[in-house]
Amino acid sequence: MSYRIPMGPYHPALEEPYKLEMICEGETVRDARLHIGFNFRGIEHLAETRNYYQVIALMERVCGICSFIHTLTLCQSMEQLAGLTPPPRALYIRTIMAELERLHSHVLWAGIAAKLMGFKTMFMTCFEIREKVMDILQAISGNRVNYSMNRVGGVNRDIEDPHAILLMVQALETEMARTIIPIFTTSATARSRCAGIGVLTHARALSCAVVGPTARASGVPQDLRRDAPYAAYPEMEFDVPVEPAGDVRARLLVRALEIMESCRILRQAIAKLPPGEFHVPEGKLSFAAGTAVSRVEAPRGEVMYSITWKENARNPSRVHVRTPTYANMPAVRWMVQGARLADTPLIQASIDPCYSCTDR
Amino acid sequence: MNLLTALARLLLFPGLLFAVPAAWFFLWVERKAVALMQGRIGPPFMQPFYDFVKLLGKTTPPRTGIGGLLMRLWPLLAVSAAAGAVGMLPVLPASGGFEGDLILLLALLELPSVCIIAAGFTSRSIFSEIGSAREAALSVSYNIVFLLAIVSIAAAQHTFRLEALATMPASPLLWLGIAALLVCLPARLHLNPFSLPNAEQEIYSGPMIEYAGPELALWELSHGLEWVAATGLVATLLAPHITLWWMAVLLFIALSFLLVLLLSTLAAATARLAIDTTVRFYWQCSLLFAVLAISSALLMRLRS
Repeated sequence: MSYRIPMGPYHPALEEPYKLEMICEGETVRDARLHIGFNFRGIEHLAETRNYYQVIALMERVCGICSFIHTLTLCQSMEQLAGLTPPPRALYIRTIMAELERLHSHVLWAGIAAKLMGFKTMFMTCFEIREKVMDILQAISGNRVNYSMNRVGGVNRDIEDPHAILLMVQALETEMARTIIPIFTTSATARSRCAGIGVLTHARALSCAVVGPTARASGVPQDLRRDAPYAAYPEMEFDVPVEPAGDVRARLLVRALEIMESCRILRQAIAKLPPGEFHVPEGKLSFAAGTAVSRVEAPRGEVMYSITWKENARNPSRVHVRTPTYANMPAVRWMVQGARLADTPLIQASIDPCYSCTDR
Repeated sequence: MNLLTALARLLLFPGLLFAVPAAWFFLWVERKAVALMQGRIGPPFMQPFYDFVKLLGKTTPPRTGIGGLLMRLWPLLAVSAAAGAVGMLPVLPASGGFEGDLILLLALLELPSVCIIAAGFTSRSIFSEIGSAREAALSVSYNIVFLLAIVSIAAAQHTFRLEALATMPASPLLWLGIAALLVCLPARLHLNPFSLPNAEQEIYSGPMIEYAGPELALWELSHGLEWVAATGLVATLLAPHITLWWMAVLLFIALSFLLVLLLSTLAAATARLAIDTTVRFYWQCSLLFAVLAISSALLMRLRS
């Protein structure tokens, strides 16, 4: 006999309100339906009522975790319309901030995944390390969540003491390599909860067009930092970790390896940080009429902004956002089919969902 | 055992007067130890007591009919059974007892778990029903190992008297039995890695989800008393035979405390297992234990 069991919109396993309605037989999930839209804030419409300074502050508040990535993508598309090229130092600072944000997002996700496995000690360890990443972000930008770093044509704040940041990054890298990565890869109970769970096959990953670590864990080698580089990524050397297995463990491994690659990029970017200005000279900006599109590899996958400007307008006439969770969430249905009920919180979390971005 | 000593054991030591503060103390030790291992501060010493008093003061929406009556009855039954189990532990030397009291103790130890299962199904919430189903599956699995361990120790002593068990000299069979009991304790106390029935990230708090106020306070108390009874049983088996009563009491408390610390460490160091992995684990354990117990019993028979 099958029965329906709702997970959400308010559930201890979910950080945000959304609903996964599962049809179960015993402890086995036969099918699932995902409902979103509990957190709609009308940000895209609000953006049409803001000028080019205000819209950056507004879009920063789309997401509390990847707030830098959203303004970066927005500013890149606005720079295309304004015909501005940020100075090289600004591009490097953007790369550093983006990688720090990826670090803190991945460590946060590792903590949540640990909590969903019932491994609260690991959750606390992850969040302690995340605090250190947040400290670096605060040291650079003065803020912990909404960094206010991006502006059209550069960044708002300079990195004045790159050496101190480099030391913090090195300490962080040692700690991650010593604690988080070994525990997730060697702990027997953690492995039993991840291996072979929530499999998304390569073919299914392609047909669902998933992005980011979810795609890379199903053997799809895509990463915008390498395939369509932006900011200072063309000058960075890094690998794109790809795992063929497609299960939760592969997603965990891909993110763990990405943490190490992020540290590698950070070290290079800080060492090579070029001198000079960090934004274009101040002045009134004028935007060409038309639509510009920018894509950036966020911690969860590809973020796309499409921004349209009308002739001589002060405000954008349309700002459209496509977030990685929007591309990843249909895959959850295929991942949970046939899974144990006990694994569904972890499986739905393994795409690192961010429904506040998706609902906007 | 006359009526007076029986009442003293049930009400004073190791019964209610000792067991209730000990239950709160062990709940605090577990929470504090896990918190310290996780780099948190943890609750203040009196927190379990405050929780109990606070919950007692809450009013809950009335449930009518037989369902409401049963929902009030299950926690009461669980608390009485757990308190009775603690009262029967042969802590003091020459504490009396009667032939077959071991069987009664095992039954009393099992009752809270049965009450939890019944409470989950009575509350008719989908989450508590899943929690109860998990508790039932878990209970069937670990109880085989638990009962095998106790029965093999009892069979070696040719008696079902608790006192004879407590005074049993150290032997491989006793150690094997204690090891088997220790394997069962995390599941019996719903600790990681076997905290499936109350897995909050999966099914909220399982069978307890519909409970609030005084009834929830009683569940918390029965959980604390289960801690005292389960760790106490292993502590009495572990403790060497001492004739001085105050030494015996101190040793009992110290051993129970160490067991609580051991279980807390295990809970802090592991993730939660899924139900099929857990059931498989316990059935493999019972197979392994059965082979070991029979071979060690044969060896003992050959040697004597």
